[in-house]
Amino acid sequence: MATTDRKIRVLLTKSRIDGHDRGVRYVATRLREAGMEVIFTRYRDPDDIINSALQEDVDVIGLSFSVGGYLIISSDVMKLVRKNGMDKILVIVGGIIPEDDIPELLEMGVSRTFGPGSYGDDIVEYITAHVN
Amino acid sequence: MFSEDTKDQDKDLLKRWEEKYSKFYKEKKFEAATASGIPVKPVYTPSDIEHIDYDEIGVPGEYPYTRGIYPLQYQFQPWVNQMSLGYGLPEQTRERMEMLKDAGMKGYFGAQSYNLPHDLVSKTGLDPDSPEARGLVGRGGVNISTIEDLDRIFHDLPLDKTQIVQNIGSATMAGLALYIVYAERRGFPRETLGGNSMNWLYKAPFVDYAMFLPKSAFKLMAEFIKFCSKNMPRWNTTNIAGYFIEEAGGNAIQEAAFTMATSIAITEECIKAGLHPDEFLPRFSFQFAQGNDFLEEIAKIRAIRKMWAKINKERFGCEKPKSMQLRMHIHTSGCSLMAQQPLVNIIRAAFHTLGAVLSGTNALHTSAYDEALGLPTEESATLALRTQHLVLHETHIPNVSDPLAGSYYLEWLTDKIEKEANKLIEKIDGMGYIKAWETGWFKAELANSAYKWRESMDKGDRVVVGVNKYVSEEEQKVPVFKLDPKIEQTAVERVKEFRAKRDNAKTKSALDGLREVAKKVNKDWPDGGDLMPAIIEAAKADATLGEMQGVLKEVFGWGYAC
Repeated sequence: MATTDRKIRVLLTKSRIDGHDRGVRYVATRLREAGMEVIFTRYRDPDDIINSALQEDVDVIGLSFSVGGYLIISSDVMKLVRKNGMDKILVIVGGIIPEDDIPELLEMGVSRTFGPGSYGDDIVEYITAHVN
Repeated sequence: MFSEDTKDQDKDLLKRWEEKYSKFYKEKKFEAATASGIPVKPVYTPSDIEHIDYDEIGVPGEYPYTRGIYPLQYQFQPWVNQMSLGYGLPEQTRERMEMLKDAGMKGYFGAQSYNLPHDLVSKTGLDPDSPEARGLVGRGGVNISTIEDLDRIFHDLPLDKTQIVQNIGSATMAGLALYIVYAERRGFPRETLGGNSMNWLYKAPFVDYAMFLPKSAFKLMAEFIKFCSKNMPRWNTTNIAGYFIEEAGGNAIQEAAFTMATSIAITEECIKAGLHPDEFLPRFSFQFAQGNDFLEEIAKIRAIRKMWAKINKERFGCEKPKSMQLRMHIHTSGCSLMAQQPLVNIIRAAFHTLGAVLSGTNALHTSAYDEALGLPTEESATLALRTQHLVLHETHIPNVSDPLAGSYYLEWLTDKIEKEANKLIEKIDGMGYIKAWETGWFKAELANSAYKWRESMDKGDRVVVGVNKYVSEEEQKVPVFKLDPKIEQTAVERVKEFRAKRDNAKTKSALDGLREVAKKVNKDWPDGGDLMPAIIEAAKADATLGEMQGVLKEVFGWGYAC
């Protein structure tokens, strides 16, 4: 845990053209219940995600995907994270992510993926343990 | 519904039942509820349904159509195998169409029926080279932006003998304009075209989509219905979908109430546009989910059929039977499918399919077992279709229409769902549909149900096989469908080439014309003229889907109302 009393700040975001928000809204509720500050946005493109993350000074970016596109978008986001020197930020990916693609996501710098049926408690625990 | 003798007998028998119960179980009380929270008893008898008039149940094919809209259900004409099947580029979707047709996918009366969801890009009315499309082209459906794309799917198909479900989200008008222009170029006049548009401009109150702002959305839906009612007698104009209400978390009562409230709101707008309900209601169709609570889901469908009949007769004074006969597609629940032990989903979807058939659906999509992992593979899509074949040919169920009618529990539950849903409809009537949309009331109701659903699973109050009970350490490996990422580039190049070779001055002038007409329609609604012909003119001048929808967004307003 961080040494200050600052609440952990999490940006949860999904594409504005994908309506599937049931999972990400559930995660938002669980993180809020765990005392985190959650900012929920719908992005137009990866720049949008980074701009919101910088403006809101978040510790965690959570990207939600339902129908795919996670490899392209996550890769764009990780490049922008590096370009902007956001070294401490934790990027996690949730949603429908086939097992086979997880190594590629981790390779590009995503910290962890949470697939369908993941428990809220596990996500809270992971974020709490890894934000510093 | 019962004689005095039967009622007396029922009382005596119930007393004996209670005595036996207490002998076995002492003070132990059985407490249970349906998935939507309606408390249920362990046994039902005539006394539970004696308050229901026999007219409310009746026979299949008679008002209020609780038991089905036709006198016979599947005996001579089975349900339409309406498998939702698009993905990727148009030619890839065509391959999947052929594969499922060869596997035995059938429509009504010899016509082939193709249920074509478009990808999120086309559904929003964007071209594939829009920045928002990145990573999403061909995902969740087929990508279409030009008349050439339509030709890549339909080039050799007889369009007057082909039924298509053009599931193109908020791009309903531009999507159909492209199809009409394409078909007419091939020699099939618009009045010969059969199929349906979804007209899903009312989707945003329930699902997190950017959309035409509420008042505009209603104007546009009514404009679309007006055009089709007068020009396309075989086209189903509007699909009222409970499916995505259920997928967003809605329970059976909410699905019934919110779909009926949506139908009411669109009907009222069309009346404002000068149409008589009997002119357009026969061309409404519906789509519902079939989820896990087997009997509640069947009761839901039976209740909905009767609710719609009553609403259209009593509220709107309809006289044509076709305005009261609810035609539906059932999509087996996607959100009930789990990523853990995915093969178990085959069995889940089989129960859902059976439930849909016992509900008397007219068309059916069975979800594939790998839908929690990705888009269906050829193998999983075929297996899903086989599930329908099995129910049709091996269970003997289709021999009898509405075979569960008369079950004390089912009739009680059908009546109960109607009453509970009517209470919710009254609430929406009081609030006003647009206000319920703008204030986010619908979404909050669904989010609340979704949260309870999830919490009950996490706490173990609700068992989900393979997820919170009977968990296996060993992972069930199944093949996962992979979409070639290169198709995005192909789609982008194609639309750019299309724009480069057309007569751009002509396109621009048609789009400018559309803008003027749209402004007038918006300002002077409902007396500002007709919008759809101007969209067709733009399609004739080779405007793309994204360009036509772009003009409508600009004029009618676009964004999140809640």
